[in-house]
Amino acid sequence: MIFSLIAATAISSIFFVFPEVITAQSEEKFFVTHSGGVVKTTGEIIDPLYVEATMEFDPMEYLRDFDYGLTSTLPDGTTLREYTIVAEDDKIMEVSPGVFYNAWTFNGSVPGPTIRATEGDTVRVNFINNGSKQHTMHFHGIHPAEMDGVFEIVGGGGGQFTYEFIAGPAGVHPYHCHVMPLEEHIVHGLYGVFIVDPKEGREPADEMVMVLNGLDTDFDTENNFYAANTIPFYYQHHPIQIKTNELIRIYVVNMVEFDPINNFHLHGNLYKYYPTGTDLVPSFYTDMITLSQTERGIMEFEYQYPGKYLFHAHKVEFSEKGWVGIFLVSDDNSDSLQETSPTTGDTNEYGT
Amino acid sequence: MELDKKPSKAKTIISGLIPFVFVMIMMAYIFGPGSDLLDLGVPLPEITIEMIDFVGSEVHATVRNTGPIPVEVVMADINDRIQPAAVEPDRFLERYETALVRIPFEWNEAEPYTIGITIEDGTRFEKEIEAAAPRLQLSLELIGFFAIIGTYVGIIPVMIGLMWLPFIRRLSKNKYHFFMALTVGLLLFLGIDSIEEALDASAENLAASFNGALLVATVTILSFLGLYYSGEKLIQRVKDSPYAKPVAIALMISIGIGLHNFGEGLAIGAAIGLGQVALSTFLIVGFALHNTTEGLAIASPLAKEKKSVIRKLVAMGMIAGAPAIFGAWLGGFMYSPFSAVIFLSIGAGAIFQVIIIIMKWLREENENSLSSASIVSGIAVGMLVMYLTSIFV
Repeated sequence: MIFSLIAATAISSIFFVFPEVITAQSEEKFFVTHSGGVVKTTGEIIDPLYVEATMEFDPMEYLRDFDYGLTSTLPDGTTLREYTIVAEDDKIMEVSPGVFYNAWTFNGSVPGPTIRATEGDTVRVNFINNGSKQHTMHFHGIHPAEMDGVFEIVGGGGGQFTYEFIAGPAGVHPYHCHVMPLEEHIVHGLYGVFIVDPKEGREPADEMVMVLNGLDTDFDTENNFYAANTIPFYYQHHPIQIKTNELIRIYVVNMVEFDPINNFHLHGNLYKYYPTGTDLVPSFYTDMITLSQTERGIMEFEYQYPGKYLFHAHKVEFSEKGWVGIFLVSDDNSDSLQETSPTTGDTNEYGT
Repeated sequence: MELDKKPSKAKTIISGLIPFVFVMIMMAYIFGPGSDLLDLGVPLPEITIEMIDFVGSEVHATVRNTGPIPVEVVMADINDRIQPAAVEPDRFLERYETALVRIPFEWNEAEPYTIGITIEDGTRFEKEIEAAAPRLQLSLELIGFFAIIGTYVGIIPVMIGLMWLPFIRRLSKNKYHFFMALTVGLLLFLGIDSIEEALDASAENLAASFNGALLVATVTILSFLGLYYSGEKLIQRVKDSPYAKPVAIALMISIGIGLHNFGEGLAIGAAIGLGQVALSTFLIVGFALHNTTEGLAIASPLAKEKKSVIRKLVAMGMIAGAPAIFGAWLGGFMYSPFSAVIFLSIGAGAIFQVIIIIMKWLREENENSLSSASIVSGIAVGMLVMYLTSIFV
């Protein structure tokens, strides 16, 4: 009896002891590693760096998507821009291949829509909270206290609030939910970008928005992923296509939580940097800017030579967890609106 | 108690099966369709990274689903940096199913690494490796190398220990009892040591769902019972010859020690396999010193045997010592934490069985008492000697 028990235990334990012996053979696939090696496998390939997730959110569309709102003119002649923003907190998003995360969203995406107005415009945001929790919208910028979205809590299940203020100052600002626990509401994705254009406008450019963010998918107050615009490695497998000698303007907002700093490094080039975008004169000409929480600014640059250029966090941990992308610069002078020489003209503005 | 009639066989079987039928009805009710009786709480997925191998320019992680629900392996990382990888046979893991995650990575020898695996809900599990070392490939040279190590650790020290036999033979009855009791002390220590190692191995590498401590307890007791039963049979068979009993006891001691040394061999092989080579040389010296005392344990009962025992002695030395070689092979070439726990527990059961046999024998020899000074001091000294030599391990 005892022996048969032992024998049964021993035989069944073989399955635990040598599991790899029992795996069946199937057809071989292969993939190329980033250092160029070829790996053959009979199993599956899990490669978040080059395999695309099936996503509703399209970072390429978000990149150049600006919401100017429903525009009308008020009796006093100022422009009124109306927006409707709906908050939800039950969305499950595939943020990286196979990784599902409960994102809290403004208008269904993380980040929320990029709200854009001109300095002096009246901005009216009809906020609807369709979530199960309380949420608000808190804009960075200048506005009356009751429009600050901190003490005017909007209940879930259809609660409403209308934020109205005069857009200003010119620059790039974040907006985010300001309900406690604040960190939780921010890291789940309730944030977006608010751009205020100066009255005199800015030079025409290929403009884009990059929100530097992180995802703490296992809730241990450490980010598992980092990204520009939420999806890790997205702009690495979908390079951003730009042209030589064309002015590129990026509105960069750092929304990373948990880690005190983030940064933005550009390859093969340097950019003019306007902190918070509030001044028309750049403060730096560099390829590396360090950003703390909600610190933001405008970066302007042109590429002289075509090719592939990386941009990424030079806090390499962040880039190896997804905050990395590529500019694919193509040689195209035919329809360039810009002056071709980046070194002439307004160089005296940099100071010495 | 007397039964009035012979109960019919069918009735007995049916009455034995009735509770099972009710258990099945209960299970059907709880798990059956439309039943959400137990739909409380959130089942948390869990995986355990059981083994890490460094092979060529790849890191291999053996992952097992040790949680209550199926999981999907979706991402691998090394030192918390995301890496592309292959999962074999596939990324879907049912309960207790394993997969091999192959991560192409140019690792550096002797450096520490943390291997992380992320599942579909974004939870990350990790395992730390103190020092990366290439997995040992089966080769004649290595087989020989492990055989030599096993010989140093197992056979040679046990044989040296056996050389105490002529010394023990010259002792008076009391002093002889002291040495037998010393053997008990040595074995007691070894048994506790085996259990401790088994518990360590299960705590480090086995998932909580395997109930490591209870696995060790169950295997130890099964091994004890099995060997106790066969040991008693062996002693009964040789009862007629008055001199055979010491031989039987010595044989059982050597079998118990052999199983224990198999476990030690596993530990040494695994230490070399896992790249803790410096630790391993130290381990070898320690085990060699330590195991000399095991020879003494076998020699003590044989002292009663008047005939020439040289051949028996050598055979028993081999039984006790040679398993270290097999253990080193297994540990070095195909280490699995599960097998380590199992063999260490079997060894512990075997040793406790031997202790019982010797204690019984000592009691018979000593007018049904174990409270003589020689026995008590023998056990105490045995434990102390083992403890002191264990400091070298």
